[in-house]
Amino acid sequence: METGRILHIATYAGQIILENGGETYRVEETISRICQSFGIEVAEGFVTPTGIMASASKTPADVRSVIKRVKHRTVNLDKIARVNELSRQNIIYPMPLDDFYEKLVEIDGKKAHKPKVVIGAAAVAAAAFTVMFGGNLADAFAALLVGLIARLITASISGMGVNDFFVNLAGGAIMTFLGLFTVWVGIGEHTPLIIIGSLMLLVPGLAITNAIRDTLAGDLVAGVTRGAEAIMIAVTLAAGSGIVVGLWIQFLGGNI
Amino acid sequence: MLINAIASYIATLCFAVIFNIRGKNKYWAAGGGMIAWVTYQLALSVGISQVYSLLPASVLFSAYSEIVARRLRTPVTTLIICALIPLVPGAGMYNTMFAVVRGNTSEAIELGLKTLGQAGTLAAGVAFVSTIANITTRIRRRFPL
Repeated sequence: METGRILHIATYAGQIILENGGETYRVEETISRICQSFGIEVAEGFVTPTGIMASASKTPADVRSVIKRVKHRTVNLDKIARVNELSRQNIIYPMPLDDFYEKLVEIDGKKAHKPKVVIGAAAVAAAAFTVMFGGNLADAFAALLVGLIARLITASISGMGVNDFFVNLAGGAIMTFLGLFTVWVGIGEHTPLIIIGSLMLLVPGLAITNAIRDTLAGDLVAGVTRGAEAIMIAVTLAAGSGIVVGLWIQFLGGNI
Repeated sequence: MLINAIASYIATLCFAVIFNIRGKNKYWAAGGGMIAWVTYQLALSVGISQVYSLLPASVLFSAYSEIVARRLRTPVTTLIICALIPLVPGAGMYNTMFAVVRGNTSEAIELGLKTLGQAGTLAAGVAFVSTIANITTRIRRRFPL
């Protein structure tokens, strides 16, 4: 009875990490660590970016296992840090199982930044990237608008439950169109800088980082999966952008 | 250069907000992004190639992230994910796509390979530092001073 409950709580902690952008080896480590801190010596997890399989046994006759499928993933690094800290603390200062579970629920329920804040941050980030790549103030202002509108649209598309690849394709297309449009209207000056600055918002930084770290940790399945994810994101982004550039040259012509 | 540095700091800071890093950690993460971008620009200005310049940049920002993460008692990834963003070859991706759209195949292949090379160099730098950091923790555990 107890073994099953501990395993459930441990995989719940793992699920929080995986759903919020953590590496798979971290999930495996966390599951084993939590089980050990509650007195189960033999506990192993096998984690891929889309699911968790874990089993634990107190005595050889009593083996429990749990499979959890992770369907939607977001990025909330704060939750990863908190679960990580909680699981490490529990080794030094063990707490009752119920308290531990309550703390996990509390972490899982923490609200992310408000959509308004995130959209504002995205707009400012696009402007800052444009300046970073050598754009002037006019370009930065154009990128601010592009980042703002593009983030609004991509956030609402992904809120409707559309798959991530289409969101990236649409995001790349919208950003490129708006980048071309702002220059056409006369707000910005350097089209490539504005477009690249805004595209940086969708670039697969998280996938690249996790691919590297999972591969180094010896987690080859996850490493290859994340690497493929990074390439897919980059290709869909470029495809979305390319479609718009192609159409623009076709119908409006001119030098971009 | 100063404007460049400030812009990279702000850009990384915004990314830290988008990725939901809370408290003072986000300012430290933004510092990593600034270190990455300034080092890259310095390496370029010395005349190192566009691909190879990413190596000192990625080594420096990962070393910074490893050290700061231990001080702040937070997982290293949370810092690296943000600090890595300015170095992701978005410009290379865009230029490759542009060459493809214009039907300029040889240029597209050249730029595509360069972009892949940049991504690879970036990964190599991060991997190198993270391995060294792992070894040092292990040595410290075995021979506590």
